[in-house]
Amino acid sequence: MSVRAVVYKDVLDVRRSKLVWIVGVHYALLLVLFFAHVRVTGSDHTSATIEALWGMAFVGGVFVPAIALVAAYLAIAGERESGSIRHLLSMPVTRREVVLGKYVSRGAIVAVSLFAGFAVSAILARLWFGPFDPRIFAGIATLTVLYALAYVAVAIGVSALAESRSRAMLGAFGFYVVTNLMTLNDDVSGIAGIDYVLNGLLDLGVSEGAIEFLGIVTNPTRAYLLSILGVFPSQVTADMALPQPASLPWYVQPEIAVLVLVVWLVVPVTVGLRAFDRADIT
Amino acid sequence: MSAIRTTGLTKRYDDVVAVDDLDLHVERGEVFGFLGPNGAGKSTVINLLLDFVRPTAGSATVLGYDSRTETTAIRQHTGIVPEGASLYERLTGREHVTWIARANGGETDVPALLDRVGLASDDADRRVSGYSKGMRRRLALAMALVGDPELLVLDEPSSGLDPAGIREFREIVREEAADGRTVFFSSHVLGEVEAVADRIGILNEGKLVATGTPAELRGTRGITESIRFEVTTVPNLVTLESVDGVETISIDPADGGETSESDPSIVEVGVRDSAAKIEVATWLAERTRVRDIVSEERSLVPLFDAYTSNGQPEQSCARTNGQPDGQNGMSTDGRRSRDPEEVRA
Repeated sequence: MSVRAVVYKDVLDVRRSKLVWIVGVHYALLLVLFFAHVRVTGSDHTSATIEALWGMAFVGGVFVPAIALVAAYLAIAGERESGSIRHLLSMPVTRREVVLGKYVSRGAIVAVSLFAGFAVSAILARLWFGPFDPRIFAGIATLTVLYALAYVAVAIGVSALAESRSRAMLGAFGFYVVTNLMTLNDDVSGIAGIDYVLNGLLDLGVSEGAIEFLGIVTNPTRAYLLSILGVFPSQVTADMALPQPASLPWYVQPEIAVLVLVVWLVVPVTVGLRAFDRADIT
Repeated sequence: MSAIRTTGLTKRYDDVVAVDDLDLHVERGEVFGFLGPNGAGKSTVINLLLDFVRPTAGSATVLGYDSRTETTAIRQHTGIVPEGASLYERLTGREHVTWIARANGGETDVPALLDRVGLASDDADRRVSGYSKGMRRRLALAMALVGDPELLVLDEPSSGLDPAGIREFREIVREEAADGRTVFFSSHVLGEVEAVADRIGILNEGKLVATGTPAELRGTRGITESIRFEVTTVPNLVTLESVDGVETISIDPADGGETSESDPSIVEVGVRDSAAKIEVATWLAERTRVRDIVSEERSLVPLFDAYTSNGQPEQSCARTNGQPDGQNGMSTDGRRSRDPEEVRA
């Protein structure tokens, strides 16, 4: 009941925020551009469809965390800095309900803006590349939403921990850079760091699979990219020279990556919730 | 049964003691004015009562509920106007109140409530981003009144209100109190507290230095205020003497004779309480053109001086008040802007 009161106000408030919609519209536009690119350069239709769908996942990989973080990082810290959180906390709600309510509302808003992008993609794919496997499409869409919610969870957690807007921004942006932008280059990515510390410095002789597992556990982007592999038929991933899940240990399979994403939905929010519960709101 | 009771309530920020071993007791049904200069710790006490901050030591109950463990019950029965809390700029006034009403679950006549705090219907449908400070205060008050709370907690409620708004606020406080509600409000303006409170508690440097009814405090220490009116012509002042609360009247020049725009007459009226000030101003405005009003209210400094023993707090009060001496002109009209940094956090 109280969570619903928090959600009600927050949705009313945020849906009038231009920033969230601007970012959401850009996601759809980016997908359109990517599909147009594939249409102009793509050769035969079967591979063009797959290429477009893979591209949809990849565009999402970089862009979805940005949408999620932007939509949620100020959810609590912003209200705390402006003081409006006192109005919220003056109602019969607990602090936990505030955090959960914010999580639900921001998650829902991000999901809705993603669905706009998915709808555009589905229409364009059908028009430009002909029939496609709806299971692949639905799989990508589902995992992308899960991925987005993992970042919403991080942003809510950061927002609940932060005492000011600037700290929340630093936390959210920092997390984005470390888990996402740096992942694009394997030499500076977190996984290279883990490998360097465990095998280079400590000389523990940790296997490649275990390093990979640590990579997905510490980084939702990696978990997402691995989980996406499970959506495509293995023939397709082989053709595109992507890593073959079959060659990896059981604990770095796409299904495990999905589980890891689900854990990401819970842990950051729990951490934030506990910190916020103890915080002095001045 | 008490509405608010604190026992040894203490809040320390690093090495600063914001609230120091406070034993405060507010009866049900009374209007309690919590008086103190900015930085005295008033907001911190309110924050402690509402569980916005957690005590270093001691405990508090609100309406019999523990402030730490029964927050939901407290908030259910308490209306709060937090100080310096911004509203939601993208929502309309009506949406604010409707939202709180929904959250409270009970039946609320939203239009009647908006009307009661003096927020016009078309204003209520505008977004809060276009609201004046006074309108924001009214809206915050409307939000606090949702659900017919047993206790109203108002933190610096009239800061930013114009005189009409302050008067309306007083009326609302009296109405609420007449219904048997408890009103607990903080202020750094003595006159405001005097005018509405049944009982006053004076806080200085986190310590409660005096409690009592306004009459008790004023009676023993002889607190009065004087207002200077610049008027173009001096009317017959005989009936002004019969205005309730007026103690002394003096005119300058004494004969009330020849004056001009550049050389107005001064009417100085000494009053017993703040309520009389508005009466006097209205009385004069009906009879002559008032060009300027200077209210020389007794500041908190001499009051603290009186209620703190060794003169040491006097200095710190003068500093926190931003006033070098006892003169504290025009402090009732909100010219002294609120200080959101009151809490030393």
